[in-house]
Amino acid sequence: MMTRSGFLKWLIGIFGAVSVAGIVYPVLRFLKPPAALSGAIGQVANVGPLSGFAPGKLTAVAVHDQPAAVQNLGGKYVVYSLICTHLGCVVEIAGDAFHCPCHGSGFSPTGTVTHGPAKLPLPTYHAQTQNGSLLVGTIDLSRAAYPGWYKGEFA
Amino acid sequence: MSVSADRLPQPTPSEIKRRKPGLVGWVVNRLGMDDTMEDQYNRVVPFHATNYMYCFGGIALVLFLILAATGIMLAVYYQPTPDDAYQSVLNISTHVQFGWWIRSIHRWAAGGMVLLVFAHMLRVFFTGAYKAPRELNWLTGVVLLVVTMGFGFTGYLLPWDQKAYWATKVGTDIAGSVPFIGHFLLVSLRGGQQISAATLGRFFDLHVLVLPAVILIFLLGHFFMIRRHGISGRL
Repeated sequence: MMTRSGFLKWLIGIFGAVSVAGIVYPVLRFLKPPAALSGAIGQVANVGPLSGFAPGKLTAVAVHDQPAAVQNLGGKYVVYSLICTHLGCVVEIAGDAFHCPCHGSGFSPTGTVTHGPAKLPLPTYHAQTQNGSLLVGTIDLSRAAYPGWYKGEFA
Repeated sequence: MSVSADRLPQPTPSEIKRRKPGLVGWVVNRLGMDDTMEDQYNRVVPFHATNYMYCFGGIALVLFLILAATGIMLAVYYQPTPDDAYQSVLNISTHVQFGWWIRSIHRWAAGGMVLLVFAHMLRVFFTGAYKAPRELNWLTGVVLLVVTMGFGFTGYLLPWDQKAYWATKVGTDIAGSVPFIGHFLLVSLRGGQQISAATLGRFFDLHVLVLPAVILIFLLGHFFMIRRHGISGRL
């Protein structure tokens, strides 16, 4: 049989533990470096020879094990992340544009939002050509400010 | 147990019986400070000092501790160079998990601390708590006020955005208007004639190394004197 004071002590203990966890959890998550930032110089993925990317088309590739698409704009290559900026589903390539099967978000060929519920454009990766191959680095942070929960950024 | 000239005396059997249990006791038993600590624990807050206005200084201290904790966390990601400063602050707010939260707490606590330090000063002034023998504590308080302002001024530059740049330009211009030593103050703060990478480096150094060291020393003195003098009498 639990006494009233014993019960209250348990209650205080539980409240205390929840309060401490409420501080410790965010602090630990804060210290874990986001992949987009820790992606450091040199951590580059080779997504294959340039001949694999037909002009004017989007080609699905994997960048650091994350879904992405390469766009060939007449010799200029843009690499889009295929993680939806709404809730993190994998966006499908629909012709020369993008469509998210989860909630119907649409993105234009340049990654801008054409249909909600997504509010932010698809992020692009830093990319450059070298010896006939396309090298992909980290997400281009200067393009737009993305929310912290954005899945593609965290490994 | 009293302290002899150069070492603690061996405890007598009756003193061993008085020894405290527990983790805190383990430390206290080894320092021979039971009487000192007992005296500290048994302080009674006088009734007139249970007014909320007597809490301003304490709340300012809590805010300082919050600022220290969140500041240490922000320094993990912040980069004090002109090329990276703004982007690193942006990254904290948009990419680091809970980064926006930690940064917001730091910012709001900073404003709150300036407010409460000022409120604390007004309370001390209007209750006459600065009068003898507490003048020295008032003087340490003046230093603490200036250091708090210094934290605010130097921290304002760190995001390295337009507002930060121009606020620092105006602030250091004001320092430059001091007679005789103005120019020296201005170039010392800026690390040159203009606001540059050197300015950002100096302000970062002041904000995270110099001022924290100064405020810690003066806070310890401030609190030691509160205990030494006790809380001032009622009006």
